[in-house]
Amino acid sequence: MAPHGRTARTMAVGGAMVLAVSACGGTAGGTATSESPTELRLAIGGEPDDGFDPTLGWGRYGSPLFQSTLLARDADLGIVPDLATDWSVSEDGLVWTVDVRTDARFSDGEPVTAADVAYTFTTASESGGLTDVTALAEAVAVDDDTVELRLQRPQSTFVNRLVSLGIVPEHAHGDDYARNPVGSGPFALVQWDEGQQLIVERNDDYYGDLPDFERIVFQFTGEDASMAAASAGQVDMAAVPSQLAGTEVPGMRLVPVPSVDNRGIMFPYVPDEGRTTEDGAPIGNDVTSDLAVRQAVNSAVDRELLVEGVLEGFGSPATGPVDGLPWYEPASAVGDADPARAARLLEDAGWVDGDGDGVRERDGVRAEFALLYPADDSLRQGLALAVADMLAPIGLEVSAQGESWDVIDQRLHADAVLFGWGSLDPTEMYNLYSSSRAGVEYWNPGFYADADVDANFDAALAATDQETANEHWRAAQHDGAGGGFGPSGDAAWAWLVNLEHTYLVDECLDLGAPRIEPHGHGWPITAGIAGWRWTC
Amino acid sequence: MTALLALPRLALGDRRRRTLAYVGLSLLVVLGVLVAGGLAADPAQTTSLADRNLGPSADHWFGTDRLGRDVLARTLTGLRLSLLVGVAAASISAVIALLLACLAAVFGGVVDRAVTWLVDLFLSLPHLVLLILLAFALGGGTRAVVVVVALTHWPSLTRVLRGRAGEVMSSDYVAVSRQLGRGRWWIARRHLAGHLTGHFLVGAVLLFPHAILHEAALSFLGLGVDPGEPSIGVLLAESMRYLTAGAWWLAVLPGLCLLVVVKLVDTIGENTRALLDPRSHHL
Repeated sequence: MAPHGRTARTMAVGGAMVLAVSACGGTAGGTATSESPTELRLAIGGEPDDGFDPTLGWGRYGSPLFQSTLLARDADLGIVPDLATDWSVSEDGLVWTVDVRTDARFSDGEPVTAADVAYTFTTASESGGLTDVTALAEAVAVDDDTVELRLQRPQSTFVNRLVSLGIVPEHAHGDDYARNPVGSGPFALVQWDEGQQLIVERNDDYYGDLPDFERIVFQFTGEDASMAAASAGQVDMAAVPSQLAGTEVPGMRLVPVPSVDNRGIMFPYVPDEGRTTEDGAPIGNDVTSDLAVRQAVNSAVDRELLVEGVLEGFGSPATGPVDGLPWYEPASAVGDADPARAARLLEDAGWVDGDGDGVRERDGVRAEFALLYPADDSLRQGLALAVADMLAPIGLEVSAQGESWDVIDQRLHADAVLFGWGSLDPTEMYNLYSSSRAGVEYWNPGFYADADVDANFDAALAATDQETANEHWRAAQHDGAGGGFGPSGDAAWAWLVNLEHTYLVDECLDLGAPRIEPHGHGWPITAGIAGWRWTC
Repeated sequence: MTALLALPRLALGDRRRRTLAYVGLSLLVVLGVLVAGGLAADPAQTTSLADRNLGPSADHWFGTDRLGRDVLARTLTGLRLSLLVGVAAASISAVIALLLACLAAVFGGVVDRAVTWLVDLFLSLPHLVLLILLAFALGGGTRAVVVVVALTHWPSLTRVLRGRAGEVMSSDYVAVSRQLGRGRWWIARRHLAGHLTGHFLVGAVLLFPHAILHEAALSFLGLGVDPGEPSIGVLLAESMRYLTAGAWWLAVLPGLCLLVVVKLVDTIGENTRALLDPRSHHL
């Protein structure tokens, strides 16, 4: 929080007049009484459309709240046991053996057994839900407290399924489970008014550390309404957009949480040779398929300025999709904000401004491309416009175009697109750059393909220990010999910024050490909810 | 005696001249906005991250927005877009009104009743609701706004034109023409057209401010012009978030400009009406 104190104060001066008015209004925090409250009210984002069934995707961004997971991440992203007491992987990486604790109970009083774990994994692999358990061949309960998860192929990233898949009770997993979840997590559902609020109560049978708060109310409001609720003292915590984060609210403090929620430019990697997808969408772009152009973009943009100017300082420059994670390779980065170097790269590759119109050409091709962003996303609009203005001086003409996702779906293989990703699971990196994912859903839309990168991906997936896997993940970004998908190699993307998620939090509420958060779906801030304390 | 006669004549001339001057000046300003808006299209989208959220100053008369874009340039571009959308929508709307009014007058009977019923139906529906529903159905975008505004603004003008046309059709000289064996189309061309032109032009101009305001309203609600385009409605919608941070200039200045332009166009319409209307005795 320290690096942003100055920014926050400077911004606050601008809003002083308005604040003076609101300061006279309410008291700080509706729950701020002399005794510590038993209820928390949170306005930290929208609700899940599909309800709370982990086998259909609930909790895939972490912290399923109602259910508990076999493993968990600690504040340093290390993997620690949760519902499991121990786990091991066979030599060939095909069998994961997990010991399940015997003292865990579902909120309906039934004990959690190995059979429930096996049932959960089997169901998730068959449901085709958003939690990707497709590598699972079968899940077998060997005895009451041991499960064997047998895979079709070795997959080191499978550990992330053990971290993210909440265990459901086989005996109570009916059609309406998504609305009436029963689980062994720290909280149990009391009431869900769709579009309005979700009320949960502490599960006193929870085997872990009991949360301090008996009751938590999640309010589903838009960003601006959350801000208003925080100003009026109606919530104890509100997620606010970075543009509003500088506004001071009496009784609340600003907590910026680092994340791998990133934004970057995806380049079509292949030239336009008239190819189309099965749906008729064109593939390829003659400008962005040139290495020099992609490297020039990576070198020319001033990422610090983007963070300061578009994110209001709440973020950090991004050089890859996995900045700051254990499998990140810092050597893949290149120096940026260097238009001279970018111009030289273009010059050397034969891009020159022959007709003096300020835009370079080569072999009759103008150095221009469209940069698409979802029209209703003001953050991406800001990034796209700022990047276009940063590239104009080096002779690249970028037209930032806000479009609907329907239009982007048709154009994303042939035009650059401003995407946002960010996961605590390296599988996402694989999906973005593996040639096997080219054109699949939103994965690898640019048809990037490199044999060495693919080989490193395969080796990383096949590794049975995390350290070996991480080595290969790193080599895929930068192999030390000019290869890799990162900016120092093929520069397949130009990553721009990592966001900080900004929350207004009651001054009395201690969140402990916030952990690095993934892309902004779900409620990642609740990952450490059991450790939250009221300090007043 | 001659002096006494000359005085009211002079005053009369003055009034007429003043009205003409109003129209001329307003037209000039509106045209100026159109031209300036065209010239400001590039600066309106140029970001300058070092000059973000600045209040009005000598460099930036209207201040800058969150990306350091000049709000004056954005306002002018937005007004230009509003004027173009307004012209297109008002013209289409007026043409629809003229066609329906003529059909009703020339054919009478069932056609007349059908047109009247249609006008009553559209007038009975709440304007903005209809506008929002149609815009939603068409999926937004600049073209959708033109279509939607055009489709919802014809009824009142249709009613006026139909009334006037009915008057003409029941006059003696039309009856004489009929007696002489002239066809419907001949009568429409020779008698109706001339009598409706004035009403039609004034009606079209007076539709125009409505069209502009409704374009802004739709864009403000996110159903109109693409949010990447700097229309006034988009500017106002964007500014809402920053009002609590004290950036009043983002909303107030473009909003005032919109009001001024709408008022100017209204002035043109009202004064033209006064000039054309033979019953404006004061001229």
